[in-house]
Amino acid sequence: LTYARRGYVVLPPTSDEEEKAMLHRMMRVDHAGEYGANRIYAGQMAVLGRTQISPLIQEMWDQEKQHLRKFNEILAENRVRPTLLLPLWNIAGFALGAGSALLGKEGAMACTVAVEESISEHYNSQIRTLMEKDPEKYTELLQLIKEFRDDEMEHHDQLIIEILVFALPFYVLLTHDPSLLQVPGYQLMKAIIQVGCKAAIYISERL
Amino acid sequence: MAALIRGLRAGRALRGLGGVAVQGTVSLQCSNVRRGFHRAALLRLASDSKSDTSVPPPSYHEVHTAGESSSSSAQGESSEDAQPNTSFQDQSGEHGEDYETEEQLQARILTAALEFVPQHGWTVEAIAAAAETLGLSSASTGMFNNGAGDLVLHFVAQCNAQLAETLAEQNNQVQLGQSEAKKTAEFLKDAVETRLRMLIPYIDTWPQAMSILLLPHNIPDSLKHLSTMVDDIWYYAGDRSTDVNWYTRRAALTGIYNTTELVMVQDSSPDFEETWAFLDNRIKDVVNMANTAKQVQATGEAVVQGLMGAAITVTTQKMIQFPERNILALTIMSCLYFSDYMKEKCLACLSFT
Repeated sequence: LTYARRGYVVLPPTSDEEEKAMLHRMMRVDHAGEYGANRIYAGQMAVLGRTQISPLIQEMWDQEKQHLRKFNEILAENRVRPTLLLPLWNIAGFALGAGSALLGKEGAMACTVAVEESISEHYNSQIRTLMEKDPEKYTELLQLIKEFRDDEMEHHDQLIIEILVFALPFYVLLTHDPSLLQVPGYQLMKAIIQVGCKAAIYISERL
Repeated sequence: MAALIRGLRAGRALRGLGGVAVQGTVSLQCSNVRRGFHRAALLRLASDSKSDTSVPPPSYHEVHTAGESSSSSAQGESSEDAQPNTSFQDQSGEHGEDYETEEQLQARILTAALEFVPQHGWTVEAIAAAAETLGLSSASTGMFNNGAGDLVLHFVAQCNAQLAETLAEQNNQVQLGQSEAKKTAEFLKDAVETRLRMLIPYIDTWPQAMSILLLPHNIPDSLKHLSTMVDDIWYYAGDRSTDVNWYTRRAALTGIYNTTELVMVQDSSPDFEETWAFLDNRIKDVVNMANTAKQVQATGEAVVQGLMGAAITVTTQKMIQFPERNILALTIMSCLYFSDYMKEKCLACLSFT
């Protein structure tokens, strides 16, 4: 009876406890991810807010805000519990954004590239899970996740071009290898960030 | 065991079902007895697996309960039993055929048992007495693995469902513009009062029920019911927060509810006036705390702004005077920015309304 009274936004209504738990877990971790991404951009803007890179960061930040708003709506209407660690992601995200921005605008962009790559991979694995279960039932949810994943990939690609063409053309000319991995220090930073993101996703799913 | 019970029921079906007027159900006795005759010949020997609905249990034929509260209590019951409720009623949303699942039967027995609680307390005796009223053997209490715990949890689930119903109805009224939206404090007070008033008929035996709910094997279920209820109340109060406020608000309301419940069982004033006064004061406390937190935050922000301004002036001066101290000054400034944000967020955690 209580189910009849609850509104449903994007998530299909279900009375199977396991399925509901799985969907809630997915939404919880996605919400935490968008919240963290929001804070990362905020940290970057706090340091680089008055440089020439700021319009680009602001534009990407606005898109992330939009994603977060959508997830807030989904969580509220579907009565999903947000993760307990949100204050932690708040501080950690801001610290990561500000820290990478203190390395300069290349640092900020490299950090964002690594994070967006992690997020896209995470969304892709969610899409795979849902497709394996029942694509028909989850059409709306799949559409949403695909749209957000495409947005994140767009940020990723945009920033790679920014870095390689505008910030480090010298490297590209020398090595003829348009991959960020050649840049010293990037591999280390990317590894750290991706391990961090994986840990964050793991914890947020459970807590 | 279940087969035995069904055999007994088959026998009684022939005598016509003794008017089980639970929540005003409609009895279709004639057609049922005919069908009962037909099916009484087939005794169901399969184990009582609730998920097997392709073969309808043929050995008995009950009046299906159309009461909303019993279907909601069936839902509550099934969620407590933690077994997949894949009965037909989920798929079609209505009772397609005139027989009931075991969960529905259990729900009916437990609802009937509530009448015997003042007499027997929250015990298996009450369930046994109810089973006999329904025309079943008192041995049907064997269906309930948890005994008195099942009864109490069923009652709690039923009350919560009723509360959710009431809140949704009020919400509907507000949406349609037929009534004014209440302020948060008033809404919470009314919701908790409504829910606690449902305990009044059983208030004398409620301490026993509370102690049953605190038994270790009952704690997960009782916590689940409590958290769902608190979540419902906040949802209908208009809370759509998705940050740490979600937790602080629910924790606060849980505390208010539990303490008020404790006051209520010891209250002897007419119509529990003291309880409602206590509730009012607790809610006022929490709202005051939230307002104070906001003031503290505003003051803190002003103080921090002042300090930051002073620090930046000093460090900028130092940067100009001593170029080799730039890195130190930069570090200090970034630490100040950082701590400013941290303080803001910490104070924001205390916000309530």
